[in-house]
Amino acid sequence: MDYRIKLAKRMLFNKRGSLIGAILAVTVGILVIHVNFVIFQGLYDAFVRDIRDYTTGDVIVTDEFDFIDKSDQSLIRWFERIPDVQAATPRLSATSEMNMTKNGKLIEESRIPLVGVDPFNDVRASTAHTTISDGSYVFSRNSIVLGSTVARDLGGAQVGDSIKVLVVDRWGQDQIRRFLVAGIASSPGGSGFDYSAVIHIDTLRDMMNRHGDTSSFMVKLHDPSAATEVKEFFLRSFPNDDFIAETTEEASEAQLEGFRSGIAMINMVGYFGMMSSAFAVVTIQMMLVNGKTREIGVMRSIGAKRKDILIIFIFQGMIIGAIGAGVGTAAGLGYTFYAKETKMSFAGSLELEVTYNWEKIFQTALMSFSLAIIASLYPSYRATKLLPVEAMRTV
Amino acid sequence: MLEISNLNKIYGESDSQVKALDNVSFTIKQGEFVLIVGSSGSGKSTLLNMIGLLDRPTSGEISIDGIKTTSLNDDKISSFRNNKLGFIFQFSNLLSDLSVLENVLLPVQISGNNTITQKDAMDLLKVVGLESQVNKRANKISGGQAQRVAIARGLINKPSIVLADEPTGNLDSVTSETIVQLMKSMAKKLNQTFIIVTHDRQHFGEVDRIITIKDGKAFEDDQPSEMEIVA
Repeated sequence: MDYRIKLAKRMLFNKRGSLIGAILAVTVGILVIHVNFVIFQGLYDAFVRDIRDYTTGDVIVTDEFDFIDKSDQSLIRWFERIPDVQAATPRLSATSEMNMTKNGKLIEESRIPLVGVDPFNDVRASTAHTTISDGSYVFSRNSIVLGSTVARDLGGAQVGDSIKVLVVDRWGQDQIRRFLVAGIASSPGGSGFDYSAVIHIDTLRDMMNRHGDTSSFMVKLHDPSAATEVKEFFLRSFPNDDFIAETTEEASEAQLEGFRSGIAMINMVGYFGMMSSAFAVVTIQMMLVNGKTREIGVMRSIGAKRKDILIIFIFQGMIIGAIGAGVGTAAGLGYTFYAKETKMSFAGSLELEVTYNWEKIFQTALMSFSLAIIASLYPSYRATKLLPVEAMRTV
Repeated sequence: MLEISNLNKIYGESDSQVKALDNVSFTIKQGEFVLIVGSSGSGKSTLLNMIGLLDRPTSGEISIDGIKTTSLNDDKISSFRNNKLGFIFQFSNLLSDLSVLENVLLPVQISGNNTITQKDAMDLLKVVGLESQVNKRANKISGGQAQRVAIARGLINKPSIVLADEPTGNLDSVTSETIVQLMKSMAKKLNQTFIIVTHDRQHFGEVDRIITIKDGKAFEDDQPSEMEIVA
């Protein structure tokens, strides 16, 4: 083995405190990035997942002029002929007022979003039905599912209660109907139907006097990565209609944009953490150089060149970087594994969507390894600048 | 052969100038065992540092084996130190992270010279009486043993000149005697030039030459008359 590599290793491993300190600095830098990624990217992905599952599907089709007037069945059949498509379902949206008499007291609530669903197709294209915490999903024309928040605002509506719902139809006339509460919907993080009510789509069409009209089509794919392809194929197939087709991210851009900025800021904090660990490596390496000043002088006096000294201390930076990156990545993967296996969520809210992003994991490890080497450059350079005669006077 | 001519070393600038070496000239032949003596601050260590190319003179020339050293760049000086010079310091200055054997082999590894082997290092360690300590860490042996390792390290590359700066300065009298005898026997055995800086000439007994440094000037054989050493 080259004597410089041997010396670099010995000098470093014989100063275990400094070595452990430097490795910890690199490890913590990497761990911060991993923890940030698991939590904030996990939260973002969970948010996107819930929008996709409950609201938009992988592709959502709307109409430039408010309502789609093509028949549900023809569009569903058209979509379901595409191999990538798992299911498609129509939805109709309106705003309602509701009232309910509870314990002899009339409770009224206004501006409640009302969603009309096709129960048969909705359970195939969306997982909204899985958020029913009590009772069942919409199953008949006079049944209603209340979001948990709506139920609470209505004085604690329960399954079996009777509720009066008012909708203004397309001619501006109030249309009132009585519904039986079939279920209560409650989703972690509240991104499901918690703030809405759900009824049968045909009932809502009747009330709104919009027979055959649909607000949107949710299209669920077997493979979400095919969303753009399916969207473009759909738009190409209906060039003379006024359809708007968007992927989940496109449809939710306004909501996701702020989220992404937040993640970018958090990532910046992580990278600053990594920079701090690089400064810690500089400090520790400087201590190592100072502790070896006399020996550097001895090596120079017996013939070691400046570049030999440089190689010794840069190699120490490489050792610190390699071990730190290894330990940090292992710790980060351990945390990611823990978060995935325990289905991590915060205070019982949204379950994080934890993924192993190997590209980012590799990038982070490589970046911290490189930073450790860069951090060792200045101390190494300082070591080469020591004059042998001066260095050997150091006690 | 070492040839020094008109060597001057001045520290500081203008008003605060100190002349550490004042027009020093002398020649030392191959195989000579030479003592450089003088009181503290006389300039003897400065002179040794100049000969060892650890410091650069203000003016003058040092030639070793016919090579003028003052014009060499840093890398060439390093190679020169490695090949032509051996060093023995007052505090032995072994590398504590290496074993006794590794310390002796270090100059060989720095030079990349494949003709000198581990066996040569073992032979040298046998000569200095440390064959049983080869695998010990350098910081686990006594001061006298460390100084013997330093002698072996100084000799391993078969240098033209071995420079020793107060090699017995940190040792008790018995160990000092052993080290002196060892250096003398090595010098004789290998026909090796030794230049030793010391303030304690009694330990060395008979030597080939003694150069006394006083106020930066060099005088032969401890006679601080006006006889300056010239080539």
